[in-house]
Amino acid sequence: MSVSQDTRATGAQKIGGFIASYSVVITFLAICLFFAMASPTFLTGANLYNVLVNNVVMLAIVALGLTIVISSGGIDLSVGVSVDMASMVFVMLLAAGYGGVFGVTVGLLAAVAVGVLNAILITRLKISPFLATLGVLFIGQSTQQLATSGGQPIYLITGYAGAQFNAIARTSLLGVPMPVLVLVACIVVVYLLLHRSVFGRAVQAMGAQPGVAWYSGLAVPRQLSLVYIGCALLCGITGILLSATVKSYVPLSGNAFLLDAIGATFIGTTLSAERRPTVIGTLLGVLLLAVVKNGLLLIGWNFYWQQVGIGVLVFLVLAVSFGLRRARQ
Amino acid sequence: MTATTMKSTVKAAGAGAALGEKQPRVQNTGKRIGTVAVRLGAIATFALILVYFALFAPGFLSSFNFINVVEQSAILGVLAFGMAAVIIGGGSNVTEGGIDLSIAANMGLCAAVFATMLQAGYPDTVAVLAAIACGVAIGALNAVAVVGLGILPLLATLAVMNIAAGAELTLTQNTVVGATSPLLSFLVSGSFLGISTLAWCLILFSAIMLVFIHKTAFGLRLYAVGGHPEAARAAGISVPLHVSFTYLFSGLCAAIASVLAVSRLSASTPGSGEMLLSVLAAALLGTVFSRRLVPTIGGTLLSVLFIGFLANGFQLLNVSSYWVNGVQGALILLVVAVTSFARGPEASR
Amino acid sequence: MTVQPAAAEIAISMTAISKRFGPVQALHDADLQVARGTIHGLVGQNGAGKSTIIKVLAGILKPDSGTITVNGETVGPLTPSSVERLGVHFIHQDRLLVPTATVGEAVFLRHELGFGPFVSRRSMNRHAAELLKRYFNLELPAGILVQDLTTAQQKIVQITRALAQKASVLVLDEPTAALVKREVDSLFAVLRRLRDDGIAVIFISHYMQEIEQLCDRVTVMRNGTDVGTVDPAETPIDEIIAMMIARDVGEMFPKRSVEIGAPMLEVSHLGMAGSFEDISFSVRRGEIVGLTGLLGSGAKEIVQCLFGLERAERGSIMVEGKTLSLSSPVHAVRGGIAMLPEDRRAHGVAIDLSVRENISLASLGRYSGRGFVKRGLENQAIDGLIRELSIKTPGRDTLVRQLSGGNQQKVAIAKWLSCQSRVYILDEPTVAVDVGAKVEIYNLLNRLAGEGAAILLLSSDLLELVGVCDRVLVVYRGRLSGEFSGADLDGDRLLAASSGARGPKAEASS
Repeated sequence: MSVSQDTRATGAQKIGGFIASYSVVITFLAICLFFAMASPTFLTGANLYNVLVNNVVMLAIVALGLTIVISSGGIDLSVGVSVDMASMVFVMLLAAGYGGVFGVTVGLLAAVAVGVLNAILITRLKISPFLATLGVLFIGQSTQQLATSGGQPIYLITGYAGAQFNAIARTSLLGVPMPVLVLVACIVVVYLLLHRSVFGRAVQAMGAQPGVAWYSGLAVPRQLSLVYIGCALLCGITGILLSATVKSYVPLSGNAFLLDAIGATFIGTTLSAERRPTVIGTLLGVLLLAVVKNGLLLIGWNFYWQQVGIGVLVFLVLAVSFGLRRARQ
Repeated sequence: MTATTMKSTVKAAGAGAALGEKQPRVQNTGKRIGTVAVRLGAIATFALILVYFALFAPGFLSSFNFINVVEQSAILGVLAFGMAAVIIGGGSNVTEGGIDLSIAANMGLCAAVFATMLQAGYPDTVAVLAAIACGVAIGALNAVAVVGLGILPLLATLAVMNIAAGAELTLTQNTVVGATSPLLSFLVSGSFLGISTLAWCLILFSAIMLVFIHKTAFGLRLYAVGGHPEAARAAGISVPLHVSFTYLFSGLCAAIASVLAVSRLSASTPGSGEMLLSVLAAALLGTVFSRRLVPTIGGTLLSVLFIGFLANGFQLLNVSSYWVNGVQGALILLVVAVTSFARGPEASR
Repeated sequence: MTVQPAAAEIAISMTAISKRFGPVQALHDADLQVARGTIHGLVGQNGAGKSTIIKVLAGILKPDSGTITVNGETVGPLTPSSVERLGVHFIHQDRLLVPTATVGEAVFLRHELGFGPFVSRRSMNRHAAELLKRYFNLELPAGILVQDLTTAQQKIVQITRALAQKASVLVLDEPTAALVKREVDSLFAVLRRLRDDGIAVIFISHYMQEIEQLCDRVTVMRNGTDVGTVDPAETPIDEIIAMMIARDVGEMFPKRSVEIGAPMLEVSHLGMAGSFEDISFSVRRGEIVGLTGLLGSGAKEIVQCLFGLERAERGSIMVEGKTLSLSSPVHAVRGGIAMLPEDRRAHGVAIDLSVRENISLASLGRYSGRGFVKRGLENQAIDGLIRELSIKTPGRDTLVRQLSGGNQQKVAIAKWLSCQSRVYILDEPTVAVDVGAKVEIYNLLNRLAGEGAAILLLSSDLLELVGVCDRVLVVYRGRLSGEFSGADLDGDRLLAASSGARGPKAEASS
């Protein structure tokens, strides 16, 4: 008797969960439909390609990094610094005539160094992730300003460096552009790590209740370090792609990813019945934001209005996400 | 069998009462001394930096320079008080507690509204009221998000920050909006007892805040709401009302700061969002001046002035101003590491 | 003694209170009459309706029917603030005090002393100090913060807050849960004085000996109604317990016969400066060993060292003959030690994870290959454990949040069964757990021991230690002050040893 009642209760919950998850998918489709009708160029192959390569890839990789961090119950405000450091080191090395592979490697190491710094502050000095990464954000911005005499961009459009950039951003394999391939690789790796591996379980446990993870014999400090280093590495990959795409290093440009990546991750949490961040959900969130940005541009909203629009969208998503969470409790 | 064991336990309890022996108890004294040492260490670091400037930066100690720093700190001070109020009412746990990341962007938006109104020919009073309405409206949005919808303050105010920054850009098209008015010229060039109006603004605002936060029942309850919401609720205090108030108040502070900012540059300029870092630094660094490790008005004022002196000292020493952000960041990390050590592992709530 | 109080003496009268939550009838025609100048106990298992009737009185819940009178006047719908105006004050189980407030601020919160909107911290601190001196003969350093007080002092500050508001009725919910014996005694002395001053005290507790010691009258609740109000001086405690659970109390501590084998956990000369010194003992296969000591005696710290939560400075810990270096729980778990922590929600189970994720959390290595979880293997093992422990859950993927407290505790135990731990450390597993759930936990302990595990039970409930353990070690001032087993194992001796009185020294240890 009681068992059947229980099943019915979870049945109702499942239906509620489905409605909540579908609501994001439905919103996404509705927005696509709206822009398709409002702008004839929206559904063209060229535009969708442009959205994918220019709006989705880089944001998605940063958002994947933040998905891991938010799953672990933390936050990383310094994603922009990781992006910028990789980009800065990469571009500066190319400008100095070093090889592309060397530049990419050292660039990624620079991003990893940011992650290591975060990890030390959080796991060794026990500073809360928010403040630790905020401090690193300050220091990272200062470092960039000092290294570029106050924020002068470095442009390397032509010549040797330009060719190196093209080798990253403009090549394609079997018709698929290199950046998209990189994204797919990142998605597969992060999905396996977060949702299939022992490490992912530890991350979810730390996010749900750090004390329980510690009392269950998990090596919490080590896992947490890997979380922040992994996030920084993903941001570093974005930094390399970013500088290869725009063929330059523009100081402090990485910060633009922060709000969008947080927004995308939280949009994604509405997709899971337990309101947890997931890889699929985050990707859906990234697509939603990218489509909205592109669509607003196509129907004639300027960059400034877009910022308001995205802010409002993220605000509404947070409202729904936290509203659902509150309703459950 | 069991009944007899139970009886004996009961009897035993009575026997224990007669003993009344003192148990050795690990007192918190050690931890308390640690806290004091750590706080003094942080304050000594501040003092050492100032002493270094006093010795090596030419003109650092002149009274002119001092008043200059106070004047330059007015905007930061007003914003930092707004942030301090939010942290007091929301609690100093950074992830779950109170924080207003939108305060600097809000100031930018209010400044844009204020300057645009003046340029359009409205009188000072109308323009000031419009700026205040704008600031409080953004504050209300934060309050609804945090209190009404239960969004984490850090996320809610981050989203609102982008809305406010976008609105400012839309209004000004990313340009400088020049503005002149009697109020602005009074603020920028007036003086009393040899102290400029802007400096007076900071002094008066600090005095009002000091009384308001530390001498009224409201301020006391605000600390209770931030320190232990359940305890405040059990005492019959409305937690949502007090927390909402802090976000509205920080919106008001943003509006007041915007008027001061427009007066300083005779215009509203883009990029006010960059102030956020200093505002956070001031509010967070201020906690080391309190033995309870919570934001106080005096502590916030001291750290505002410290940040002012830091920028000023670098300037006098001809050090690039790009160092300032980094040093602020490092100081925040230092102070936070130190206070989290002082609070001990149980400080997470 | 059993005469009904005269109408004029009644402070609180709740008649025919009913309250329904959906399909659950939480209160059914419940009555509670509390006379002025008495200490009135309220007992019952969890879910019996104690907390519901208290919440109705506190104005937090609105009853569906029934009448309430306070000091003879019938009152309308109650709200938390109107109740306070009537002089009824609640001392909640959690220490609901602002940690960063001074004692004066905490005592006068929302009733601040001062002038108009302005407050005078000095007069609040002075008045609070006067009240503490007058009622409790307690002098605290001027301006001390609540967070620097001991647990008992914080409780006293809470009571002072009620007294400052001229309370006529004081309701205390499990006030002794975190107090040591001496503090309990001084709290009881205070409550008796307040009673003699004519205040009505309602005292809710799970500890029967406290009820017998303190209360003039006890109302027993079961299944949402009051099953009787008795005088504990005349009614034996087992009778009261029988009223609570409506079954024989003899079933409480199930008997067992287990063959005790070779030593499993061996601790020798363990020491940590300021906490404990020279601690040596062993726990054998199939044995349940109790460990007890007052707060601050070092017993808690010993257990924490055994699980790597704190690091011992001297001595060694061996499991099955192998010396372990315990610098974190990681090593303890790897060495086969399991810990059932006192704070279940903070350390035992993650309520926002599923039953499956919780159970496999400590043993993921067993269900994975090359770092990836093998779901088929995991599901099979989890389903087995759910059946074995009869965890009542709709399925393995249900969130632990949705389970009852007892079932959550079973999930916490299943986590270690899945890990095949050999040494189980239980830290106060039955605090604030009702009698029914206690019996289940005791049964589970017996089963674990029967399967060859070594069990170390840290508990301050002497009744439980005597009923469950083969042997009990007592810690006093950081040293083992006694070891009791067989006929020597009784509450008197345990208490004497834990409070430092000269008792029979351990003769059982060889």
